[in-house]
Amino acid sequence: MSLQVRYSKGMEAADLTHHTSRRFNEDLERVRNKVLAMGGFVEEQLSGALMALINGDSLLGRAVAQKDHEVNGMEVSIDEECSRILATRAPAAGDLRMIVATIKAITDLERIGDECEKIAQIGARLANDERPADRYREIKHLGRVVQGMVHDALDAFARLDADLAVRTARSDRQVDEEYESIQRQCITFMMEDPRMIRRAIDIMWVVRSLERVGDHAKNVCEYVIYMVHGKDVRHISLDRVEQELIARRAHG
Amino acid sequence: MLLAREYVLLRRLQRWLRSLQSEDAPEAAGVWGDVVSAIARLQRRRQYHKRRLLQLLRELRRSTAAIPDGVVVLNPQAEILWFNRTAGRLLHLRARSDVGMRIDNLIRQPEFVAYVRVGDYAQPIVVQAAGEEERYLQIQLVPYGAGQSLMLVRDVTRSQQLEAMRKDFVANASHELRSPLTVIAGYLETISQEQALDQQLVGPIEEMRRQAARMTGIIEDLLSLSKLEATQSTAVEQPIDVGALMVQLRRDVAPRLNPATVVQLEARSALGLLGDEVQMQSAFANLLDNAAKYTPGGGTISLRWWSDAAGGHFSVHDTGIGIAAEHIPRLTERFYRVDAGRSRATGGSGLGLAIVKHVLQRHDATLHIVSNEGYGSTFRCDFPPARLVELQHAAVG
Repeated sequence: MSLQVRYSKGMEAADLTHHTSRRFNEDLERVRNKVLAMGGFVEEQLSGALMALINGDSLLGRAVAQKDHEVNGMEVSIDEECSRILATRAPAAGDLRMIVATIKAITDLERIGDECEKIAQIGARLANDERPADRYREIKHLGRVVQGMVHDALDAFARLDADLAVRTARSDRQVDEEYESIQRQCITFMMEDPRMIRRAIDIMWVVRSLERVGDHAKNVCEYVIYMVHGKDVRHISLDRVEQELIARRAHG
Repeated sequence: MLLAREYVLLRRLQRWLRSLQSEDAPEAAGVWGDVVSAIARLQRRRQYHKRRLLQLLRELRRSTAAIPDGVVVLNPQAEILWFNRTAGRLLHLRARSDVGMRIDNLIRQPEFVAYVRVGDYAQPIVVQAAGEEERYLQIQLVPYGAGQSLMLVRDVTRSQQLEAMRKDFVANASHELRSPLTVIAGYLETISQEQALDQQLVGPIEEMRRQAARMTGIIEDLLSLSKLEATQSTAVEQPIDVGALMVQLRRDVAPRLNPATVVQLEARSALGLLGDEVQMQSAFANLLDNAAKYTPGGGTISLRWWSDAAGGHFSVHDTGIGIAAEHIPRLTERFYRVDAGRSRATGGSGLGLAIVKHVLQRHDATLHIVSNEGYGSTFRCDFPPARLVELQHAAVG
């Protein structure tokens, strides 16, 4: 287990010049795995919450709401690990960006978990009422778009794929549009039949939560772009980001 | 002069060895000629083997790529080494960028992540494909070599749909049958209490009532079975006080018991069981009902609850008629009859043990059956240690 042994292997020698130790690489890898496992869990929470609402399954809704604390636990554990890496390894450049992006991404994932809990609770409550004739067609569609966003954001995080991140962040616009359209529809319902107000408000909460999930997914995409290109794109239009990325690729 | 020629030859040989083209072997005579032809022979043999290996490899790749199932080769760290086109299509993997990535970073369904990390690959798992609600994939890992594994992926959407249709049908049919049956049973009840009833009809009406009650029992069991199947996991898990549950079970079974039969309770563990109390009660009650049915002549039924390093155990032991060994593996199948005449006489639905099996499955438990024909049977439920919890008594809070 001497240094010589390690140096004798070409690959690891190159690695050593980059990182002081292999353990560091393993630490980073473990954090990444944990973030993606957390992401997978949140994805399942989201689909469970939507299924509970759409199928009127109160048991599933309650089960999803009950599981939210696991998401919180994962956030705390990853957060601790990141702090430990920052304190003991003092990462630089790309590694530092990865840790910073991770700390931010898990906050957003945890919020997505919270929104899922809300949707699940409303789903469980509405299960006792009769479902609307269209069986939540609009919510189903919006839900599918948002689920796709979360999935693609995590894929971009896993593959360090900035292009996918930009494309995914773009679809947030579609989510916003659909959110507004459902909102208008709910207002019409409420004006037509005041008995619908209570349910329409519940629906609005669900749609609002989905829109927030879309925003959080977009944030994760922005951290991916930051992680890959070292560029903060949080308050810049996506068109400019894309142009810059293309320009950068053309140059090097 | 001679030395110069030797040198030129040596240089040619060197150049040839560097380029390794068998065609332009230098012409030489004597010892040099032997050396050159020996090297050329080695060279030809090597190239022949290389070609054959390449061909074999290409054939292997081509045949694996042509397998209709998805195949992914993973290294010991669960990183992707290679995958065929079907796997790429089913799992949305990208040929160039995804090689070298951990599979559970890309396939993130919690069930799959747990499957990969826990490492018990005896059974395949079925996961819903990401982004496609209506698509189901069956995934199995097959370890080989030094820690590598082969991941097989198959699209099982069709069979999942058929299964769902079957479950829906059973649930709907039993639900629809229940209402008319309630009406029939209600009228039979009224008629049987009629004072002016023709003496000839008393027997038949009584038999009709019994059969209607039996049919209701079957339908109730079918409904609770399809309810168990419909929800994937136990929804509400709470600590169950097994000792108290046993007392209640004994009270419930009393009316169906032969008066000469004794029911003993032995709760040797103060630990509780984490699970769905309603489901657990129906499973244990089914076991106890069976024991009561098949201990007709008066005997002893003992309920036991104990815990050890292997987990928690609940058993129902009776001194009844027992079951022949050949029937034991099939007992939990729906409507499986050990003896058609016997079960009709006892009025069972044939679904009790199927319900027990389902409830235990979703509580990570297994059912063990030991029986001695003519001497009695023991049904034991084994729960993993993770299911055991300290009971919090009201006094503590």
